[in-house]
Amino acid sequence: MTSTELPVRPAAPVRAARPSRGPGRPRRAARPEGNLTLGESRLARGLALAVLAVLALAWLLPMAWALLTAFKSEQDASDPGQWFLPRHGFTLHGFSTVWERGDLPLWMLNSFLVSAAVTVITVLSSAMAGYAFSRTVFAGRRWLFALTVAAVLVPPQLLIVPWFRQMLTLHLVDTYAAVILPQTVAPVMVFILKKHFDSLPRELEEAARIDGAGHWRIFWSVLLPLSRPMLAAVAIFVFIGAWNNFLWPFVSTSDPGLMTLPVGITSVKDAYGIQYAQTMASAVLAALPLVVVFVFFQRHIVKSVATTGLGGQ
Amino acid sequence: MSSPHASPRTGAPSARRLLPPGLLFALPFLVLFALFMVWPLVQGLWMSLTDTSLSAHAPSFVGLDNFTEALGDAEMWRSLGHTVWFTALSTVPLVAVALGMALLVHTGLPGQWVWRLAFFAPYLLPVGVVSLLWIWLYQPDLGLLNHLLEVAGLGPVSWLSDESVAMWAIVLTTLWWTVGFNFLLYLAALQAIPDHLYEAAAIDGAGAWRRLWSITLPQLSRITGVITVLQILASLKVFDQVYLLTKGGPNNSTRPVIEYMYDVGFTGYRLGYASAVSYVFFALVLIASAAQYAALRRREK
Amino acid sequence: MTGIPAPVGPPAPSRRRVLTAALASGAAVLGAGALSGCGSAQAADASTVRLWDLFSGADGGLLNDMVRAARPGMPGTRIERTVLEWGTPYYTKLAMASAGGRGPDMAISHMSRLAGYAPTGLLDPWDLDVLAEYGITEDAFTDAVWSRTQFEGHTYAIPLDTHPFIVFYHPEPAREAGLLTRDGALDTDAFSSPGQFLAAGRELAKASGKQGIAFGYVTDTAQGWRLFYGLYRQTGGAFRLPEGGPAEVDVDRMAEVIAFMAKIVDGRVNPRRLDYASAIAAFTNRQTAMILSGEWELGTFRTADKNVGAAPFPTVFGTPAVYADSHSFVLPHHPDPDPERRRRTHQAVAALLKAGQIWATAGHIPAYGPVTRTSAYAGLQPQSHYAKAQDHVVLDPSVWFAGAGSDFQNAMSQVLQQALLDGLAPDRAARAMVRRLNTFLSKPSPA
Repeated sequence: MTSTELPVRPAAPVRAARPSRGPGRPRRAARPEGNLTLGESRLARGLALAVLAVLALAWLLPMAWALLTAFKSEQDASDPGQWFLPRHGFTLHGFSTVWERGDLPLWMLNSFLVSAAVTVITVLSSAMAGYAFSRTVFAGRRWLFALTVAAVLVPPQLLIVPWFRQMLTLHLVDTYAAVILPQTVAPVMVFILKKHFDSLPRELEEAARIDGAGHWRIFWSVLLPLSRPMLAAVAIFVFIGAWNNFLWPFVSTSDPGLMTLPVGITSVKDAYGIQYAQTMASAVLAALPLVVVFVFFQRHIVKSVATTGLGGQ
Repeated sequence: MSSPHASPRTGAPSARRLLPPGLLFALPFLVLFALFMVWPLVQGLWMSLTDTSLSAHAPSFVGLDNFTEALGDAEMWRSLGHTVWFTALSTVPLVAVALGMALLVHTGLPGQWVWRLAFFAPYLLPVGVVSLLWIWLYQPDLGLLNHLLEVAGLGPVSWLSDESVAMWAIVLTTLWWTVGFNFLLYLAALQAIPDHLYEAAAIDGAGAWRRLWSITLPQLSRITGVITVLQILASLKVFDQVYLLTKGGPNNSTRPVIEYMYDVGFTGYRLGYASAVSYVFFALVLIASAAQYAALRRREK
Repeated sequence: MTGIPAPVGPPAPSRRRVLTAALASGAAVLGAGALSGCGSAQAADASTVRLWDLFSGADGGLLNDMVRAARPGMPGTRIERTVLEWGTPYYTKLAMASAGGRGPDMAISHMSRLAGYAPTGLLDPWDLDVLAEYGITEDAFTDAVWSRTQFEGHTYAIPLDTHPFIVFYHPEPAREAGLLTRDGALDTDAFSSPGQFLAAGRELAKASGKQGIAFGYVTDTAQGWRLFYGLYRQTGGAFRLPEGGPAEVDVDRMAEVIAFMAKIVDGRVNPRRLDYASAIAAFTNRQTAMILSGEWELGTFRTADKNVGAAPFPTVFGTPAVYADSHSFVLPHHPDPDPERRRRTHQAVAALLKAGQIWATAGHIPAYGPVTRTSAYAGLQPQSHYAKAQDHVVLDPSVWFAGAGSDFQNAMSQVLQQALLDGLAPDRAARAMVRRLNTFLSKPSPA
């Protein structure tokens, strides 16, 4: 699951230029009820609510259980006799131990550095390329774009062995560059952004060009501001993908000082053996950053999923 | 409408005219693309024709030996089978459960944000967190699942160490983790179904079930096709959660082909052979993509 | 200028500021990232020796103690440990790090893995002269172990310990069964043939009131092999594995050993279907009077029975041989190692070896001779009772695919499980093992 392939969504060719579904603009359901109602049947509503509640409970339970364990003492966590409420009360000991003794803060920093770098590079280069394919003409443009779209079919898993070999050649194994660079190639984002730029009306640019603006001005001052939501969606997606990426950071780093969060918490073992409360504490801490991101950017994330998943407007 | 030409009258004349501005714009991406997509693909192909190794010895050309070995390698086929088996097991629930969730949530029952959060939150977790969570859940003596089974009067299950159960355990974890994405896609699609279709049906006296069957589901058939395709392609590439939950065990009974490639290349040092295996895998992905593309195309005719 | 779509999305300012800040920091990161073609900051600290190992749990704690105890022996140097997951993932990561040239300064490796590791060029040899300066010389180690450290005339591993597969017993039932000598040690003569071994098991079962000897092997990836190979080498049979195959082994003796193993876990005198953990539980809960186990479980057993006894694995088939492995220190390859760093690493190893007494408390036999010859060591019970096993240790065959955590051990153990648990006939099991051996041999060595 990385941004270079969207939780893999190469079905874009299918959606190339389809008109939106159905005649007329679909009315976004402004009222709380969707257009699929259950009618007046109290039984139906009750039943549906019950099913939903059970599902939601089942879905929340693992996280709740982990959270509960993280706040227990080690003794209580490994006591098969008690399941929910710990005999010795709740404690932050698991968290403090994990934070102080291990490398978790370092891994968090690494994750942040890597994800931020990947996001910036990917969004910038993809936006520029999308603009180039959409608004400019140069020799080989169509051919290069077709190549880009074809590359969407290439799964990153295919490339990890050559990438590693490449990093060996470049003497970059166990460096930040090795982790970051391969993740910045996101043909699918180029495709999405190109389509997006295609859909923007040209009048504004025409006006700017008449005023004497060159490509860079038009790109930076006209099109980008117009594209803020789309760019935000892409950036968020890329960031989440990079943050959660496991395979390549796992392969490219053996030095624990360079590991990103997902790799570190699963590779490096506590010198003191399996400590359940601490393990759960590290899991909770590792989950926090993106949960925070979600809380702040909730609408954008949901929108970006829908947007990038459905291939743009 | 003037065409978006790189018109000579704009911008200062400069030596950068050697490259058309468009190409300049695309250059960062193209450089990265060439370095980290094209070069590795070519090098991977080259490596698959040699006996490149992680160790220090110089590689020598072996022609198609790696490929013949891969095609005759029982373990490779077995791991390919595991990948396909995983895909088969996981795709249906991941589509059906997502659909069910989306339908239920879309009816507008109270507590909207609770449902959305509950179903989508796991998707935000990195696989490392998910695996730690579920290893703990699956723990035979202390885990929640066996405790629940015990409460229900059933015996404990060795979720991750019993060959007959391990793959199901992985599928369950994957379902919990990724259904949220499909759920959101379905929700968006449901919201886009025009109301007038329902209004017309209601006027015709169609009940809730009729409306579901005759309007909603047909309207969703396209997005279902897309979701299924995406899901299958994603499942074929599975590695992370299998590796973290069971390391491909017990006894390599859950090892997917990507992990086999990793084992052969990095644990076994045989990078050349691993490249060959990865190209066999690539062929599988291409075939699957082509087949599904054709199927979707035909459907839309 | 009509038709300009209104800027969509939520009100700009706060988001824009966030995005700009993100962009700015991202740009800063880019710059940093471009400059850091180097690795993490830890690599730069010259007085730190980085050690990778796979010791968690009690062993991990002991190694920390050893590191502390070693400080006087290496002034100005700090050892920084990283603990990775035991088994194949550890060796994979170590190899990949070594290939990249930025691996740790030294690492723990099972000696049994060396045959596959040393020829790959991913290890650097130790400088014996420098080690001698710090007091470590070849004659401080037993031949059985030292011979395994060599490859093409160089020393690629410095042994920390040997950890053999031995027997533990509860003294009371053993005494009652008449299996102890006058000074309280196990009378290994009473186990010196298959028949006597099984008879001793019966006596132990009677004396304990429950069962005699526990052996955990079900679903285990190594236990079956450990017991088998030690016993097989006791028969004196050959186990030559020439490159490219076929294996030169004595199938009849293999079958004999397998038959004996199956008789041990008969299900009446001794339990039949124990896995690793339940065997330990059976012994600690006194369901059995004896257990066949690696010495590394000493801590667990001693907690349950502070008088627990131990002895080298008895010589059942004639030639003394005890299956073991050895933890050793290796030098991951660096293309351009800093001589000062290397020197510190040698010094650190020497200091750690001399602190081996601490390591011994876990049950391991320190490889550094002078430690085992101290009275402090002789005072360790029951370690001193099985210390002499290190003279007869046999490690895995010296071939690239063998070693701790290897597929090979797993494949062998699987066949053995079929023989012990599922009733596969011994001669068929032996032939199955040979077939798998030949499959391994037919694959090209990665070196």
